[in-house]
Amino acid sequence: MVKIKKRKLGEAQIPTSSMADIAFLLLLFFLVSTNIDVDTGIGLVLPEFVPPEEQEFVPLSKDRMAALLINENGDVLLDGNIIAIPQIKDNLKIRITEKIELPSNKKLVVSVKTDRRTVYNLYLQSLDQVKGAYFEVWEEYAGAKYGKSVRDLTPEELEDVRAKIPIIISIAEPEKV
Amino acid sequence: MKFKKKRASVKQDIPTASLPDIVFMLLLFFMVATQLREVDVLVQFSLPEAEFIEKIENKRLVSYVWVGRDERIQINDSIVRQEEIRDIMYRKRVELPNVIVSFRVDKNANMGVVTDIQQELRKADARRINYSSLLKR
Repeated sequence: MVKIKKRKLGEAQIPTSSMADIAFLLLLFFLVSTNIDVDTGIGLVLPEFVPPEEQEFVPLSKDRMAALLINENGDVLLDGNIIAIPQIKDNLKIRITEKIELPSNKKLVVSVKTDRRTVYNLYLQSLDQVKGAYFEVWEEYAGAKYGKSVRDLTPEELEDVRAKIPIIISIAEPEKV
Repeated sequence: MKFKKKRASVKQDIPTASLPDIVFMLLLFFMVATQLREVDVLVQFSLPEAEFIEKIENKRLVSYVWVGRDERIQINDSIVRQEEIRDIMYRKRVELPNVIVSFRVDKNANMGVVTDIQQELRKADARRINYSSLLKR
């Protein structure tokens, strides 16, 4: 009987000790080139575009409306009265709060209007105040009803807060000058 | 007299076999989080500051519009004219139906240019916007 000789295989090995080094090098590259900055800002949804000939005038009762006008001289007018920007928040908060229990078609509408020469920063500061007023009313409402901060609410509870105090900010149609 | 060094008799190795795995895990995270193509911003601007700002969680949805202090408008990589905004935005919206347009506007710019862009966005039906601003301290 012939004995078949098994060829002994030399042990094949890939050196892996440097793999970590290579991986570290790549890691360093991606670490340096990553930027994890989130965009922060004030969100809005613009109204749908309606061609001028199809526009209808929807009358709004006066007490439902808070008209904010920022003119080109830097004056901020709330319902025709000059107001300082930091006062907008407290002023609106009262008006939002008294409409919490009203049906959804009677909630406050904040209309923001600017001139073409208004400085952007002023507009944003005013919008910030409006948002701030809503956020603070949300916070108070959530605290009173659920005893917790808006951040800790469950989705259903948040939905309720949103329904009770909807943020309605209307960007007025610009006037052609 | 001979001094004997005190030494534990057990092996003193730190096992490094799993080191590459850990590093690869980190690597993978940063690879996913990285976006290499940064847009060159051609306009000069400084963002306004606001108190009640929100974060945009989904960065993928964001598309930027820059307005510099000389009121030039930049979208993507190039300065655009006002008439071109509608087409660009319309195309973006077709690709990404719920695109958020983030305004990076210089704080001393006039509202006129912002209003014009907003009108164009409304016509392109890209209506979710965000006024990019920094946190006021």
